[in-house]
Formats: sequence, C-alpha cells, structure tokens
Amino acid sequence: MPKVTFIDADGTETTVAAKIGDSVMQTAMAHGIDGITAECGGAMACATCHAYVADDWADKVGPAGETEADMLDFAACEVKPTSRLSCQIVVAENLDGLIVYLPEHQV
Amino acid sequence: MPLAPVEDKVTITELVENPYPLYRRLRSEAPVCAVKAVGRVMLTKASDTRAVKDDPDTWSSDDPNTPMKRAFQAHTLMRKDGEEHKAERGAMMPTFSPRNLKTLWGPAYETFAGRYLDRLPRDEVVDLFPTLAGPLAARILAEILGLPEASDDDMQFWSQALIDGAGNFGWQDEPFERVDRAHMAMNALLEKNVDRYRAEPDQTALSVMINADDPIAWSQIVANIKIAIGGGINEPRDALLTVLYGLLTNPDQLDEVKRSGNWGAAFEEAVRWVAPIQVSARRATRDTEIRGIDLPKDTVVMTIQASANHDEDLFEDGHLFNALRAKNPHQSFGSGPHHCMGAHLARMMLGKIMLPMIFDRFPNMELVDPSSVVWRGFGFRGPLNLPVRLN
Repeated sequence: MPKVTFIDADGTETTVAAKIGDSVMQTAMAHGIDGITAECGGAMACATCHAYVADDWADKVGPAGETEADMLDFAACEVKPTSRLSCQIVVAENLDGLIVYLPEHQV
Repeated sequence: MPLAPVEDKVTITELVENPYPLYRRLRSEAPVCAVKAVGRVMLTKASDTRAVKDDPDTWSSDDPNTPMKRAFQAHTLMRKDGEEHKAERGAMMPTFSPRNLKTLWGPAYETFAGRYLDRLPRDEVVDLFPTLAGPLAARILAEILGLPEASDDDMQFWSQALIDGAGNFGWQDEPFERVDRAHMAMNALLEKNVDRYRAEPDQTALSVMINADDPIAWSQIVANIKIAIGGGINEPRDALLTVLYGLLTNPDQLDEVKRSGNWGAAFEEAVRWVAPIQVSARRATRDTEIRGIDLPKDTVVMTIQASANHDEDLFEDGHLFNALRAKNPHQSFGSGPHHCMGAHLARMMLGKIMLPMIFDRFPNMELVDPSSVVWRGFGFRGPLNLPVRLN
C-alpha cells in the first residue's frame, strides 16, 4: 500500500498506509488525522480538507481543477500554488511516499 | 447486544425550553438512548453524530414517517440519498458557487445590511429580531433564490409555515392548512417568474435550475426553492442574534475580537454554542450497532449536533460562549452529502460583513437586559428577542 505522510502546522509527522483509489482526504479520515475536517465528505462543497502538497510532489499530483480552485477561495488559511482539496487527490501507486502539509485551521 | 436504554421522563416542553441538561446527562450516562418524548434514538456524542452523517450507506436520510412530505407537498432532497439527492442538490449548486458569493451575493448583502442598519433608531431600546435579523435574512434569500418580489414578511411567513408544518408531529390541521396557503402564494410567484428568467437568465437559484442543460423536473425545482426558504432564514437570523448575545455578554471577548478582527471565529463559536439546527434524523438501512447498542434496521436516530458541539471530549466548558477558542470542530453545518449548502454564504454574510459592520456603526451597542432574552427550540433553536440600545 502506498504511504502518505501528513505534516501538521506544528510540524508533527504522521505516516499512514493508504488504500489505492481512496482520496487523500479519506486516507486522513480513516487514520484520524486531526488537521483534516472534511465537512462535506468529498463532495467538493466545502474547503475543509485543504492541504499543501510538498514541493517535490506538486508536479506529480498536479494543480487544482477549476471548480476546486474556486472552492479553495473558502479555505480558512492562506492558499498557495501547492494548495489542493485533499478529497480531489486520489491515491495511486505513483504517489507512494506522498507528503502533504496541513494548514493551521480548516474553518 | 442490548437495545438502547429508554429515557421516558423528559417532556417535549422541557426539550423546547432547554434541552442541554438532558444532553449533558445522556453524554455521560447513555450516549445512545431512546427518548420517548421524541420517539427516536438520540445520539449525543460528537464522534457518533459525525460517523452517522459520514456513512450514508448505513444511515439513510429518508425518514418516511415524518410530516415533512405532507408539509412540503413533495419528497425533497433533504430526505433523499445517493444519486437522486446529488442531482437535485447539484441543480442548485451553481448559484452558491464561490464566484457568485464573491461577485453577486456578498455585495448584495452588504448593500441590504447597510440599508437595514440605517433604519434602526439610536438611543432607544430596539429588538433586533423583528427589525434586523429576521427581515435581512429574508431579503437576501429572496434575491438569491430569484423571488425578489417577495416581501420580507412573505418570506418569513412562508418559512415559518414550512418549518411548523414539517415539525407537526402531532399531525394537527392548522399547521398544514397554513402551509397550504403558503404553497399557493409561493407556487404563483414561482410560475410567474419562470418566463422572465427564461428570457433573461441570471445566477439566481430559480434561473439556474430552469435554464440548466438537463433540468430537473419542475416539481423538484419548486421543492428545492421551498427547502431553501424553509431552511435559509431562521439559521442566519438565529446565528446573528446568538453571536450578538454572546459578544455583548462577554465584553472582554468582544474587545479582543475587535482588536484581532477575527469575527469569523465569533460566528463559528455562536453556531457551536447554540446550533441553529440542533438535530437531524437518519434511518438505519441495515442492522447495525453503536457503542455496543443494537440498532435494528429501520431504527430512526436523531443525531444531536447541539450536543456534539458541547461534547466534553472536544470542548472545554462547552456550555460557555468563548469566541477565543483555539479549535472549534463544531458540527452545526452537518457533514457528509447533506452538508449545509449555505455554509459559505452564512460565514461570509455574518462573519465577514455583518459583524464588522454593526460594531463599526454602533461601537457602544448594549444588550439592555440579558435575562429578558428568551431562548426556545428543540429542532431549531435561537433567541426570540434581542433588546439592545444602539449608539
């Protein structure tokens, strides 16, 4: 199973095994990662699963889509070029080792 | 495993007056408990309410034995699941897009808010429920939905009629007769506006739904608009009154928020402290269990977000308003597929626009007699009055 590492705003790292096909948000929820709220459960109707993809991974993960980029306007913390809604990143074999940083707040 | 224990002492009158003491007791003694007064199994812990909402396969929104269908003259998206729900919700979603909020509804709200604040008298006692919170919530909603001709009073009357009808668990005649009158007026206005929006489409909900490439049925368009009317006035109204009460009774916090400008946190705290929508219903689609309690198929549970928001596992002194909380994982907008569609709109209207505006205009606003504020409601809850002196 691919590994995904979440690094929260305090710098605490948590590495978990992710199921292929799950979103990074679902992976976080399944492992009780605090920094992801995911109010809407993946419907792209909120911006509470905001995450920053580590620079080294940004190309592989790709940028936010148009609707996603619009929704990121509602994110509680600063939106950067590497910002994504983690519900829209699907775990695949080629993302093994993915690192995402979590914002200080989701609301 | 055992079935849920039964609480048969509390009355519906007590729940309407103040349900929080019962919730506190249930959280510690019986977090999965059948409460006779409401005929439902109450879930009062935050992890349980969240888990149920996030698992729509096990927990359906279709609670068949409620007066809602009768009250709305329709099976609405609130009580649907899966693709059917998604299609009807999706039909209205473009109206609430981030872009529309920023470019249309935010500026519109700001204009109305300024106008409604201008009308308020200074240096005398004024109740902000009927003079500001209710009418302003009605006005912006009428504009967003595509019913600009509806008066504030019309909108509030229709909304209350829908709410009272949907909550008419005693199946009395009067609430249904009243909501039927409201339907006649709403239907007439909707039909009248269709031609105009076909000719001149805009971003209002009615226009977006009728002009979609593959529109949903007219009956569902009408039902969606009515859900928004029934569910879009009292929440921002009650949230505004609650946040003002919270800040005015905690002047230290108000000073700090004025200094930091973090009005959004004050708004979040208000809807945590007294959730405008306190409870939701879900039905088990299969035999299941929570905390070792058996919940057979077709059990209807009430997820009590009002209680989840006070859960000792997540909040210190949850019964107190504290706009300076570091973390506030409340569930007042729900979660999962039915997550509140108006959440961003509410956060923008109140947190970004109204709160800074009202305290800028009336920096010395005083709550006249906090003990005279009456709080009511079991399903929906908020203050019935908010007497202030503006200066």
